[in-house]
Amino acid sequence: MAVKMFAAIDVGSYEVCMKIFEFSSRRVMKQIDSVCYRMELGKDTYNTGKISVKKIEELCAILNDFVRIMNGYKVSSYRACATSSVREARNHLLILEQVKRVTGINLEILDNSEQRFLDYKSIAFGEKNFYRIIQNGTAIVDVGSGSIQVSLFDKDKLVTTQNIRIGNLRIREKMADLVRNTLHREEMAEELINNDLASFKKMYLKDRTIKNLIVAGDYILELLKKPMVTVEEFRQMYDGIIEKQPEEIAREYGIPSESASLILPSVTIYKRLIEETGAANIWMPGLSLSDGIAYDYAQKNKFIRAEHNFEDDILAAARVIAKRYQCNKNHARNLENLALLIFDKIRKVSGLDARSRLLLQIAVILHGCGKYINLSDGAECSYSIIMATEIIGLSNRERRLIANVVKYNTFEISYGEIMGQPGLTEKEYLLILKLTAILRVANALDRSHKQKFDQVRLELKEKELLIHVDTQEDITLEKGLFPPKAEYFEEVFHIMPVIRQKKTI
Amino acid sequence: MEADFTKPEYFCNREDSWIRFNERVLSEARDKNIPLFERLKFLSITSSNFDEFFMIRVASLKDMVNVGYQKKDIAGMTAAEQLSLILKRVQEVVALQYSTYNRSILPALKQQGLEIIARHEDLTEAQGAYVDRYFEENVYPVLTPMAMDSSRPFPLIRNKTLNIGALISKKNEGKKEAAVEFATVQVPSVLPRIIELPVKETGKRAVILLEEVIERNIGKLFLNYKVVCAHPYRIMRNADLTIEEDEAADLLKEIQKQLKKRQWGEVIRLEAEDGMDKQLLKILKKEFHIHGNDVFHINGPLDLTFLMKMYGMDGFDHLKNKPHTPQPVPQLMDCADIFSAIRAHDILLHHPYETFDPVVQFVEQAAKDPDVLAIKQTLYRVSGNSPIIAALAQAAENGKQVSVLVELKARFDEENNIVWAKMLEKAGCHVIYGLLGLKTHSKITLVVRNEEDGIRRYVHLGTGNYNDSTAKLYTDCGLLTCAEAIGEDATAVFNMLSGYSEPRHWNRLSLAPIWLRERFEQLIARETQHALAGEPAHIIAKMNALCDKDIIEKLYEASAAGVKIELIVRGICCLKTGIPGVSENITVRSIVGNFLEHARIFYFHNNGQSEIYMGSADWMPRNLDKRVEILFPLEDEQIREEAYHILQIQLEDNVKAHILQPDGTYEKIDKRGKRLMCAQDYFCKEAAKRVAKPKDPAHDRVFVPAEPIAEE
Repeated sequence: MAVKMFAAIDVGSYEVCMKIFEFSSRRVMKQIDSVCYRMELGKDTYNTGKISVKKIEELCAILNDFVRIMNGYKVSSYRACATSSVREARNHLLILEQVKRVTGINLEILDNSEQRFLDYKSIAFGEKNFYRIIQNGTAIVDVGSGSIQVSLFDKDKLVTTQNIRIGNLRIREKMADLVRNTLHREEMAEELINNDLASFKKMYLKDRTIKNLIVAGDYILELLKKPMVTVEEFRQMYDGIIEKQPEEIAREYGIPSESASLILPSVTIYKRLIEETGAANIWMPGLSLSDGIAYDYAQKNKFIRAEHNFEDDILAAARVIAKRYQCNKNHARNLENLALLIFDKIRKVSGLDARSRLLLQIAVILHGCGKYINLSDGAECSYSIIMATEIIGLSNRERRLIANVVKYNTFEISYGEIMGQPGLTEKEYLLILKLTAILRVANALDRSHKQKFDQVRLELKEKELLIHVDTQEDITLEKGLFPPKAEYFEEVFHIMPVIRQKKTI
Repeated sequence: MEADFTKPEYFCNREDSWIRFNERVLSEARDKNIPLFERLKFLSITSSNFDEFFMIRVASLKDMVNVGYQKKDIAGMTAAEQLSLILKRVQEVVALQYSTYNRSILPALKQQGLEIIARHEDLTEAQGAYVDRYFEENVYPVLTPMAMDSSRPFPLIRNKTLNIGALISKKNEGKKEAAVEFATVQVPSVLPRIIELPVKETGKRAVILLEEVIERNIGKLFLNYKVVCAHPYRIMRNADLTIEEDEAADLLKEIQKQLKKRQWGEVIRLEAEDGMDKQLLKILKKEFHIHGNDVFHINGPLDLTFLMKMYGMDGFDHLKNKPHTPQPVPQLMDCADIFSAIRAHDILLHHPYETFDPVVQFVEQAAKDPDVLAIKQTLYRVSGNSPIIAALAQAAENGKQVSVLVELKARFDEENNIVWAKMLEKAGCHVIYGLLGLKTHSKITLVVRNEEDGIRRYVHLGTGNYNDSTAKLYTDCGLLTCAEAIGEDATAVFNMLSGYSEPRHWNRLSLAPIWLRERFEQLIARETQHALAGEPAHIIAKMNALCDKDIIEKLYEASAAGVKIELIVRGICCLKTGIPGVSENITVRSIVGNFLEHARIFYFHNNGQSEIYMGSADWMPRNLDKRVEILFPLEDEQIREEAYHILQIQLEDNVKAHILQPDGTYEKIDKRGKRLMCAQDYFCKEAAKRVAKPKDPAHDRVFVPAEPIAEE
């Protein structure tokens, strides 16, 4: 493989950064250049809900310069991502349009969960001790400008992740007006954080032991000066700086002075989380979103191999959600099995890809969660739960897709109603129909939740999908309720599922 | 008890120290061991030095006095106190300048068959006729005489120009004492100042200065008047160019505007011919609002910089040093590809002993090399027709990405720089016009190359400007390397200069204005710690000027702790040696020679793990706080040896070195019974010798012990 150059652009809330990476035949990824331009887009968004024309112009000028730099290195591909400041701006589509027109750059807006997943990837790839660290109870704390993300590991799988909307820039802006009235900024910052943190603790932390805290965020590495510290060392640093003015901190620790004002909110968040989790060690890989973008690109293009299976994390997270809403575990396992069997069997004719398989699997795992709220209105409730629950690694669009599949699993299919959802693309629409068809058939096969269909063999025979089932049980119920699901399946795939029972006595 | 190293009496006033530097230059002009024409050069330099000194330093002190600035300097003096001290001292030195000229240089020249005819009255008849004709043909057409009377105000006299002032009175005004009027004429700067005269005797030559020729013919300018008297004079105006950057929306425009303004400004010095008519002098003093020690009565020709032109007269080669030809760099001698040479080994360049060509070649080759992606460079003072500029422009035309930081704030060079900057922009280079509030003084070039195994960065770091003409006159060092750590830092430097955030960390380089001061203080403090721990501690630092109070205090502290400190400071040095308990372990030497000592080299013993750094910064507040400067370490063992050798030879110099005495004066070393060592000559010879026998291993200064033969 020839040397390949890739640029990762991160349009963040207080910085616009680009990193240039080189991928060589040695299967290593090497950072060649890194430019960061200080620009507080988040300040506009968090205060006015929009990014001003002036700031957008400034952004375009910087991105044009990035293009110049990319050309200088003969960069062959790039990915440019924007995060919360653009995402939350009401004029975000106008911003993307303007950027595209002026600079030619396709700027994409990352959902929080996508963004955090990339951050997480940067840690999993970049921190060489990652695999060792997560063997013990671990939480990743990713402090951004608008929110913080706390992700918890169980053994070596990421099981839950929560977004708390208190980021360093947001806190600073909230405190800006009040700070004159207090001598103890740190107490005020703590109070801002505490409320959200308390609920988080109650919901997610109660029965876990957290030994390691992996901290992702800017400038914490500079403050602590080494990639791993104990709680005591963190405490010392905290006590050392909390009374100081931002300028002093900047000078002392070699942090750009313009970023120093964000340090106090950041360390306060870290401190509170350390206290709440009871972690003993704090790790700081010192990586950023741009690194994550590059690792993701490299992984997808098979330039580098990951030790860690990231899909397992997504699935594990889904299972934790299912558990919280007390979904029927055996039913779900059986259904997962059946749905994936069907998926794989018809893969060639269905035109569905690997990502869709993952979405289907998650839909299956979560399909019963709404019953926790209301038994008779399970479909709607499932839909609402999924729409409201962030799953790291899935974009919001993907999550909506899953919510739809889960809903129409039992809800009567209405093409018009699905199509009428704002912003839904044709592709997504078709994917919903296809995955729903599979889920409905699989679900019908375990109508009784008795796992009668645990010994199944599928056979694709011309226009029929033969479902050979080897069971002693009475499957009259399943057979009886099967036809409408099968008809819908045929409508979607032009293949008719047929149940064939083989009785071995 | 903690000793106090901050007392004002421990420091020397920087202007006074500068005047001492000019005295050292003058002492070269007085040194009879130096070829006569070289002495002319030194005398000329003292004169141009004073000009610059007045325009910048005296001017800003005047400004301070004018605005009532009360803050005291490092030595505890107010601006007014400094001014009165300085002017007194300059008067003394100027007197010495002209006694050197009159009593030493002129007779010596005459002895060598060259006569400078001081007064036109002394011309022979034939010579008189010759100059009169010369006047009519060449001079008269370009003269613009101006008179002052009730209807015409006093004319604008331009900064630094030579003029002849005259008193004239109307002819035919009857018997009555006619009223005199003032008139003035500028000695045209477009004509040569020195006019060679016909001489009868063979082997003899004679010259006269242009102003004498004009004076002789001044009557022809004021035909209806009688010229009562005529004398040359010259003024210096306040020209300290302080640009209000916050207000200047467009720096480029502002500088162009300021350049025009520079001709105006308050008059801060008047030089008048000694023996000038009292009435004429009174008029000048009144019109220029100048008095006291600001007026210099000059016993000889004004503005001695014409001596530099005289040096260029042909036929006196035996009275000049043989010109030194910069030698090729051994590692690059049989090598067409400078990049492969750098890949093989870091390369240290020592100019002007070694040629500056590799630096030019570095950029030129990069411009043509198809694998080069980008060239980035800082340009501070560029020579006219610089081959580097041409190469950069060509690189841009070849599709390379070229970024150039052109420092517009380089004093007195702005006009020059703007021209180049515009040209580069036209060629497609990305030109950055300096940073707000900071002068970019660092000298760094980065070449990014796309090689088989990926990106590789080649870096040149220097102590001197990218100026191929001054590189023949200034002693400077440079490093060519492709070390990855330095390459990364270099990229970060240019990103920072382009307005991007500073990097998270630096691998090797230390930059002013943010990190450098601290770095130096740490390095000095580390030696102090070693000394306090009873370990050997030693600092050798070579620079152009030392006047930073904090650094000097740190040096005092180190000295008091027992650190041996050897300083080689060419110019200003505000540190005092030999103060009991403060600076007894410090020596300061200044080398003033044919080449201008310009390199900055810093050696720290570090308890045996010695470290040597080079850079663009002096230990001056302006370098450490107001400029972008780079300090780089020498990491290669052999190169470190070479740099240490340079320092050692300079410390051994007993010909051109002046030692700072506890009383603030400088004295040359008593050479009796010693082997003479002139560092600059030594380096010239050494460079030639290295090239003569490049392959001779015995010549290597590093003796490598033979390895014992390993048992099979």
